[in-house]
Amino acid sequence: MKPLAHVAFALLLAAVQASLLRWLGGGALPVALLAACLVHQGLHGGNVDGAVASAGIGYVLDLVSGTPKGLMTFLAVAVFLLVRGASVAVDVRGRAAFGLLSGAAALAMAVGALLLVRYTSPAETAPGLRLVPRALLEAVLTGLAAPALAPALRRIDGLFHREEPGLLR
Amino acid sequence: MLALLKRYRELLLVAALLVVPLGVFFAHAKKPTERSGVDRAIVWFLTPVERALGWTVRSSLEGWRGYVALRGSHDRAMEFSRRVNVLTLENQQLLSEREEAARVRRLLAFAETTPERTHVGARVIGVRLGPIGLQLLTLDRGADDGVARMMPVVVADGVVGRVHAVTARTADVLVLTDRNSSIAVRVERTRARANVRGLGKPDAARLDYALRAEDMMEGDRLVTAGTDGVFPRGLPVGKVTKLAPNPHGLFQDALVSPAVDPTRVEEVLVVTRWERTGEVQPAAYVPEAKK
Repeated sequence: MKPLAHVAFALLLAAVQASLLRWLGGGALPVALLAACLVHQGLHGGNVDGAVASAGIGYVLDLVSGTPKGLMTFLAVAVFLLVRGASVAVDVRGRAAFGLLSGAAALAMAVGALLLVRYTSPAETAPGLRLVPRALLEAVLTGLAAPALAPALRRIDGLFHREEPGLLR
Repeated sequence: MLALLKRYRELLLVAALLVVPLGVFFAHAKKPTERSGVDRAIVWFLTPVERALGWTVRSSLEGWRGYVALRGSHDRAMEFSRRVNVLTLENQQLLSEREEAARVRRLLAFAETTPERTHVGARVIGVRLGPIGLQLLTLDRGADDGVARMMPVVVADGVVGRVHAVTARTADVLVLTDRNSSIAVRVERTRARANVRGLGKPDAARLDYALRAEDMMEGDRLVTAGTDGVFPRGLPVGKVTKLAPNPHGLFQDALVSPAVDPTRVEEVLVVTRWERTGEVQPAAYVPEAKK
């Protein structure tokens, strides 16, 4: 159920993001809040739950961003694995680190999507490298906004946390 | 085999989650596919959420703009209203000054066309055009400025009158429509002689001593003849209106519409000196002696 709740939250977040960006600059400011959800899965989710939730979030991203099917799903799972690997190597704590990792995840997804689409598209329709600065801006803004999402993501996790009787805390 | 799958099931699941979407992507990358029923259902779920959020944000912004942001707007409106009043007054002042400048330019141009005359510019500071008494304009120039009795007073449109009384700083002008004013004129078209005498009201005068035999018609322009020793010749006086030929007398009757409306005059020129060329000078009129 937890992965499903995270996917539902991602769906809601995608809608909120689309609505807010319409009012904040009319879309001039790019932001990828769902990258923060992926980072949270990588840091706090289980191997299976996290991967499934990440795939679900990727599916939502595919749906709302209009990319070819499977692209964002693959990238979401890849980002989940990368974050998971990073969390093994580095102890990620605090909001700033969460934001930094979210920004990096957003950048990785944007660059990964750019390269894959560029690889599969005809030359005349392939996205150019001119999109890289925008991807950087998106990463920065995502990194700034992501810490605000951390409490909500932890609360979703809390909904599925089961107290074990007799266990001292 | 089953034990192996069981042992690596997590790894295999993650790998499947990674590889399957990639395969789907490469399968669909070249040819975009339509959204499936599930996709459409999810988007259908998203639409009201986005709409509700948009409505909330829009309502909040409208509420802010319509109520909170209007705080103090009444004071600002009052301030703007006051500023508009001040600016309107300033604008009226500027328009008035512009019109005055235009009038003065016309006077100056008129003065420059007659270099044989010398003028003193003056401003009308008082008006007495009542039906009782003399019809007078008071000027802000007097004897100290070289103004003397009987000097002609003109504007670019024509004759205003003559100086009637002078003090050191002011001068009274008897306008041509006063009953005591009589100006020797000629019909510009035929050079016929006559006199223009005032009727005591600012908008009309009458034509005296216009011989019945003279060729005259309504609309004829009248100019000073220069024979009365007061006005230089050729200054516009008015136009003939309501010509009434008298079948029995020596003269014909006519009304004159003055060239200058004395009620609207604000700046004038007092002609202090001019060259008299062949004009009859009355023996009593010696401006230099008067000064």
